[in-house]
Amino acid sequence: MLKLSLGMTNIIEVKNFRMCFGSKEVIRDLSFEVHAGETFGFLGSNGSGKTTTLRALLGIYEPTGGELLINGRPYDVASGTKIGYLPEERGLYKKETVIDTMMYFGQLKGMSRAAAREFSLDYLTKVDLADCARMRIDKLSGGMQQKVQLGITIMDNPELLILDEPTKGFDPVNRRLLLSMILDCQKRGATIMMVSHQMSDVEKLCNRILLLKDGGAKEYGSLASVRKKYGGRTLEDIFVKIYKGENEDE
Amino acid sequence: MSDKGKEQPERKPRFLPGQRLGKTVGLSHKRQRFFGHNFATVYRFEVVRALKKKTFWLSMLAFPLLIAGVYGLTFWAGSQSESTLADLAKEKFSIALTDDSGTISSEMIKQIDAHEIAKKEDGLAKVKTGETDAYFYYPQDLTKNRVEIYAKNVGIFENFKYQSVAQALLQNSALTETSPEIVAILTGQIDYDVQTYQDGENYNPMMEMIAPGVFLVLFFLIMVTFGGQMINAVVEEKENRVSEMILTTIRARTLIIGKIFAFLTMILIQVAVILSLVVIAYFALRNNLNLPSFDLSQIPLDWSRIAVSFTIFAASLLLFSGLLVAIGAAMPTAKEANNFFAVPILLIIGPLYVAPMMITDAANSAISFMTLFPFTAPLPLMLRNAVGNLSLGETIGGIAVLAVTAVIVFTVAARLFQTGAVEYSKKLSLKGLFK
Repeated sequence: MLKLSLGMTNIIEVKNFRMCFGSKEVIRDLSFEVHAGETFGFLGSNGSGKTTTLRALLGIYEPTGGELLINGRPYDVASGTKIGYLPEERGLYKKETVIDTMMYFGQLKGMSRAAAREFSLDYLTKVDLADCARMRIDKLSGGMQQKVQLGITIMDNPELLILDEPTKGFDPVNRRLLLSMILDCQKRGATIMMVSHQMSDVEKLCNRILLLKDGGAKEYGSLASVRKKYGGRTLEDIFVKIYKGENEDE
Repeated sequence: MSDKGKEQPERKPRFLPGQRLGKTVGLSHKRQRFFGHNFATVYRFEVVRALKKKTFWLSMLAFPLLIAGVYGLTFWAGSQSESTLADLAKEKFSIALTDDSGTISSEMIKQIDAHEIAKKEDGLAKVKTGETDAYFYYPQDLTKNRVEIYAKNVGIFENFKYQSVAQALLQNSALTETSPEIVAILTGQIDYDVQTYQDGENYNPMMEMIAPGVFLVLFFLIMVTFGGQMINAVVEEKENRVSEMILTTIRARTLIIGKIFAFLTMILIQVAVILSLVVIAYFALRNNLNLPSFDLSQIPLDWSRIAVSFTIFAASLLLFSGLLVAIGAAMPTAKEANNFFAVPILLIIGPLYVAPMMITDAANSAISFMTLFPFTAPLPLMLRNAVGNLSLGETIGGIAVLAVTAVIVFTVAARLFQTGAVEYSKKLSLKGLFK
């Protein structure tokens, strides 16, 4: 209560998070915070536990230990926090039309039918998919489907965006489009937590980062402070150095 | 964009956690509103998209069309076989016969223009030489010896005409020697009117069964016809990789309940359309097809028993819907889920094997067990209620068991859906559920 009265601005708090699958311990002891309004890069090698952490944060996985809080409490869909989640595993209702699918998710997020329709049509126009509104999802290319899914993620102006490898599968043109949308969300004050293997994207977008290794935080802090610690190297070089060892880097 | 790597002054956020945490009282109401809103959204989405599907209408119309087709085929085949026999009987062929039984009337022999022969050997010789087409030998004791028929081969099917004529000759001869009353008695043409009484009132147990028994038939039809579709509706999110995203916008329980209610609505629509078609077809074709006439006003309506049947039906439907949902939620694909469809169906139809015992020996401990064991209870409860041998205690106990188990199964199904949401390629084990 004291923290609240002092106006603490952590939208995400992860405290001593532990996650085991059977006898395998994926996350040992992870603690970090994401401040309201910042863009946070959650980085790590394949299989390091990034997606697991996001799923536990969103209540899809039950943590083995520790606390994962959004706005001070374990996430619940009815808690009132407007979240946009782009999961690593992409998918939509394949037999439904683009507009019906978008409107459905919009309404599930609390939008009125009219507002969901208006947002969907505006968004589809913006991403050059206006002609596909009445098409079935399975008739679209993979990239087009990703755009639709991104549109669903940012519907209803979420205050917290959780993006798991958002640029995966995008060509350079669409990647640039996606990054500009993330920037738009930043400008309107949304908090963003993103997992990405594109270090250049992280450098462009993120204020702070966490590098996950061996089930814990290997590096955690502002992007500038982490780079400074490694002699001003690029994030990609730092990543290689941490995960492959010093010799690989040289 | 390029200055992101540098230390930046903290941006003033638009959304502050404290704004939300201070309104805990308001959240309860908000949650309720949210549940109602999302339930309605899921319900509408599922109903509308089902109604848009051609397969929905095709599968719905396929059933009455199939029934009509089978009935039409049976009717046509029956009329064809009847006319074939009539044609065969009419067909002229020369007949010789020997009647040692003394049953065949001379008038009949004259009518078919047959020749009587004294010895069987002579009749057989006439057939062999082609002098006559058929020879019938009626032995002295028809109950112990066979009627012997010797005839010219006219093909595998047409050869049946000889036996038809020999039989008709025997039967008609016997009938001419018997009084019409005896003929009616022996041929089962006597009508009976049975009136039974209970507590001084006229009571027909067969008719009493009809109204409450409708729910039993309806339950069977729904589960067998639509159970597979219900499994598919639940596994769809996982198969399409949508479950992870959808579970961050809606609770698993709300999604499942919305889907089930939408599904039940679909069933109601299908049943209404099918019944309408049946009623229309009945009144349109009743005279042409000689369909029996039903007087629905003769069916007694015991409202208390009907209400009990409906309650058992509703609770059973919820329980088995939950079970189907649980199967769908635990499996990664519709194909794998459908492999387990037989389990609930076996539980439902299994008690059919002892259905006669439920009527005649309801006190049997095996019947009592099946009546109160939730997964076998629907049939015994509904059947015994229809028959009228379900006690008040069993009624209350049975309904309570069904309702409580339905709630438990739904809770497990929702948990399975939540836990298995990201198990895109493997079945969810019970160990995985409770660990």
